[in-house]
Amino acid sequence: MEGRLANSWRLTVNDKNFIKTALLSEIRIDGRKPFEYRKISIKEDGSSEVQLGQTRVMGMVTAQLVQPYRDRPKEGILSIFTEFSPMADPSFEPGRPGELAVELGRIVDRGLRESRAVDTESLCILAGKFVWAIRIDLHILDNGGNLVDAANIAALAALLTFRRPECSLGGEDGQEVIVHPPEVIDPTHNEEAVMGGRMTTTVNANGDICAIQKSGGEGVPRRVIMQCLQLATSKAASITKQIKDAVEVFNTERALRKIKRHPTSTGDDVREKQN
Amino acid sequence: MENKQSSSLASFVDSTVVPGDVVLDLSSMTNQTIKLGGGLRQDCDAISAMKAGTLRFSKPNKYWIESSQKRYVPCVEDTILGIVVDSKADNFLIDIKGPAMGFLPVLAFEGGTRRNIPKFEVGTLLYLRVVKANFGMNPELSCTDASGKAAEFGPLKDGYMFETSTGLSRKLLSSPACPVLEALGKKLSFEIAVGLNGRVWVNAASPDTIVVVANAIMNSECLSGAQQIIMVDHLLKNIQ
Repeated sequence: MEGRLANSWRLTVNDKNFIKTALLSEIRIDGRKPFEYRKISIKEDGSSEVQLGQTRVMGMVTAQLVQPYRDRPKEGILSIFTEFSPMADPSFEPGRPGELAVELGRIVDRGLRESRAVDTESLCILAGKFVWAIRIDLHILDNGGNLVDAANIAALAALLTFRRPECSLGGEDGQEVIVHPPEVIDPTHNEEAVMGGRMTTTVNANGDICAIQKSGGEGVPRRVIMQCLQLATSKAASITKQIKDAVEVFNTERALRKIKRHPTSTGDDVREKQN
Repeated sequence: MENKQSSSLASFVDSTVVPGDVVLDLSSMTNQTIKLGGGLRQDCDAISAMKAGTLRFSKPNKYWIESSQKRYVPCVEDTILGIVVDSKADNFLIDIKGPAMGFLPVLAFEGGTRRNIPKFEVGTLLYLRVVKANFGMNPELSCTDASGKAAEFGPLKDGYMFETSTGLSRKLLSSPACPVLEALGKKLSFEIAVGLNGRVWVNAASPDTIVVVANAIMNSECLSGAQQIIMVDHLLKNIQ
């Protein structure tokens, strides 16, 4: 028991009070404004690695040929697995996934499914026999708060660069926002510890709402929900652009890599001729 | 003999050592009392290193190994910031960012008796001193200095506590004051408590001062002295 206590992360009374009082005067502990995002950087390398302030999430997509479900013979399978390593946060326990891990997986899953980011029907090869099962692995490498956003961006970025053999995969956007009164977006680790409730909305780049998740905590008035949706829509556009830029960079890189192979092969040819 | 000792000292002080290095030989330094700090242990006459880092020496007789970690390894006479986790009949359980909970005896306060045991809410931040740090035992803490006076130790009210590496907190306590603190202190007035376990508490009149100071300190970790001063100037200019 005590060993576990030593590992659980806790916040002092001083911090809780300070974060709350500072928020009332619109100041956040890292000097941001209430509706300001942290710096996002997305790295693509076959898999994707998203860094949102201190938070780091790695997304990895793999595909396998399987038999489809009986009731949906023409549809491919999309599954999401989240991995919370104890390295990321001492309060994550190794072994079975915790409540947060399950919820995170569900939010990402729902966002991708409802926004039709993955066209499951195009994953079908032979109805009732072979379909592609797409598996998205999300590894939380460091928890600095707002895992949901980071995980969603990582999943989407990984999907966008994933190519199933000899086919291409289309993508839409999923992006959501987290709120608590006094509302802020993109909360850090410490802010999450003091927040009373949370609402997640998944919005695509065209401003369509794909999913809303409200998990426990305090109630949210209608006015606040509308305000949040507006915020989410504006953020969705900018973040989608960033994801697309990162994908673009990766695609050019990949194209360049393919081109690079030629000089070496011609080099060999030349040598052979000389011989 | 004298020569050999000074040469062996000169070769290790301020240089990098790894676990297992014998840094001092007591048989060659009789009639001396030395104090060992973190990362050093004594096996008969040999003082050997227990962690990788730089061996430091401060006059007159203190030796310790300096390294930067996220986790704190308790060491006697360190001043630290702890968080109350639980209170038992005899002890408060204190989180000190270490491998084990620290025990703070309920009587370890200035003039502490059974009748005036303080009450701490879970999550209270305390400024403490490590009294005992033996292997296989929970470290024992105290809210008094060696002579039993309260001397600044005790609960910290309000303010904001953030976590840094142990290396940065030691730098903040170094004796020509750390450039970042000096630069901040010229422009702002604030109160600070640094624990060697990598916790820093800051308090000031207004929340934005606290935020500026906290962020300046967190950013200063990998910067040189001159860079720290530039960074602080830049931060302060942005506010005004």
